[in-house]
Amino acid sequence: MRIERDIIYIILAFIVLMVVVPWTAGQLSDQIFFNWPFFFEVAIGGLLSGVMYSLIALGFVLIFKASGVFNFSQGAIVLFAALTLVGLHGLGLPMWLAIVATMGVMFLLAVSIERLVLSKLVNQEPIILFMATIGIAYFLDGFGQTLWGSEVKVLNLGISEAPGFYFDGLILINDFDLFAAGIAAVMVVGLAIFFQYTRIGRALRAVADDHQAALSVGIPLKHIWIIVWTVAGLVGLVAGIMWGSKMGVQFALSLIALKALPVLILGGFTSVPGAIIGGLIIGAGEKLAEVFLAPMIGGGIEEWFAYMLALAFLVFRPQGLFGEKIIERV
Amino acid sequence: MDMNERKIGDVILALDNISLSFGAMKVLDDISFDVRQGEIRSIIGPNGAGKSSMLNVINGFYHPQEGSITFRGEKRKEMDVHKAAASGIARTFQNIALFKGMSTLDNIMTGRNLKMKCNIFQQAWYWGKAQKEEIEHRQKVEEIIDFLEIQNIRKTPVGRLPYGFQKRVELGRALAAEPDILLLDEPMAGMNVEEKEDMSRFILDINDEFGTTIILIEHDMGVVMDLSDRVVVLDYGLQLADGPPDEVRSNQTVIDAYLGVSH
Repeated sequence: MRIERDIIYIILAFIVLMVVVPWTAGQLSDQIFFNWPFFFEVAIGGLLSGVMYSLIALGFVLIFKASGVFNFSQGAIVLFAALTLVGLHGLGLPMWLAIVATMGVMFLLAVSIERLVLSKLVNQEPIILFMATIGIAYFLDGFGQTLWGSEVKVLNLGISEAPGFYFDGLILINDFDLFAAGIAAVMVVGLAIFFQYTRIGRALRAVADDHQAALSVGIPLKHIWIIVWTVAGLVGLVAGIMWGSKMGVQFALSLIALKALPVLILGGFTSVPGAIIGGLIIGAGEKLAEVFLAPMIGGGIEEWFAYMLALAFLVFRPQGLFGEKIIERV
Repeated sequence: MDMNERKIGDVILALDNISLSFGAMKVLDDISFDVRQGEIRSIIGPNGAGKSSMLNVINGFYHPQEGSITFRGEKRKEMDVHKAAASGIARTFQNIALFKGMSTLDNIMTGRNLKMKCNIFQQAWYWGKAQKEEIEHRQKVEEIIDFLEIQNIRKTPVGRLPYGFQKRVELGRALAAEPDILLLDEPMAGMNVEEKEDMSRFILDINDEFGTTIILIEHDMGVVMDLSDRVVVLDYGLQLADGPPDEVRSNQTVIDAYLGVSH
């Protein structure tokens, strides 16, 4: 990949903001505690929570790549998957069986979405499909909670949240976060290979570019949509498991999807690696900002930092770090 | 090339009394012609004559209200897009319809889609069977790339290619399916003389070397008359004439409606 000049500027700006500014602040102000092990602990903690954002963002990227539609319902899919998993587990299924059964449910969901919604909207404008996904989101939010109840449920995978990894006794890292990072890495490598080097992956990208041309080479639109919504459902399930065991399975899961928006703007809507890098930057950025910058301006940065970062990106690099630059020829 | 050496066989595709309308607008009105195995068959006519609609009927994008299509002896009311592709009909589009974000190689590989057999689980695993299949088909695609002389743009995203090359890549994607019938919708529109000569040569070679039947829509009369075995002339959905180039050229109705008027 050719590294463009503005990417270098972005990296430099980020280093200045995230490393030089905290360090200087630590030297000048006695309100801010700064030493290198602590800095790295915060940074690594941030990166690992960024992985969790990436998991959500991945679901968006998949559907966007394969159908050119921004899928508003990804958050609802995460909630629905987590609710179904906890519900089935609550009915007495062992965890592994409940996970397999939920995967089956996600497939059925994909088939129903294709049959009942998408198949009626072939060749429509993307905005129409977008509106349809808003409808799907509201339906899933309500349907999942009607089926399984709306109270907060506990999802326990049996992985300790205690710091399990010590680096020289100075840096503490959570076992669970490492586990989540490992899962995300496996998923990303798998999806990247699938998209880039297989016939179905190529067909997915083809459908995103041009429905008619895809039909003319014999790519069945119907199957492609079912596959891509199933994969988005599975990614949603993984995100639901991770987030659900962190914050409990509850309606708020549906809203963390909003956290994925800045990640997508940073990474680019069409890039799987972009979703990961974007998530890492946002995760590390907001933690570092909260710890080292917030005391200077009164705190509470973490809530909005990601959106500010996204805004800056929209101004200087609207296609994101790795997105395809969209040039319309006239 | 000696025209007498080419083998033109039996009728492979026959269109009988095809009528197609969108609402009150009649796009095709009682059109009948046939296509023989191995021939280059052209459809000409002014803009809006219904030429592209005719191709869309043949590959199943449009379903005519009346008439029948007989393909390889099997008579039916309309074609189905997927079945058409699966039974050997490939096409290019008037406004290039490539997958713009993908490389030349990937675009042409999509043309192999129906020839590849690995199922979703083998593909999800990738290593082993699916990988082996990729490599086999990649070889065929490399042959097409050599044939069309586009080796040096193999990895370029097609959205960045100049127009003439995009047309070639689109032809490559259609060829990758190893079609029996190739539908070409204005393959030379917007090209300069040199590019047109290249494209004409490719069309003749495809027809000659692979025995592919070609149905061609083209505005450049010189090219049409040189390449075609038979020409059908449409005008506002009506069929004006059908026959060998010389006959069509001297047909008075055609001259009045089309050839005589400068475009």
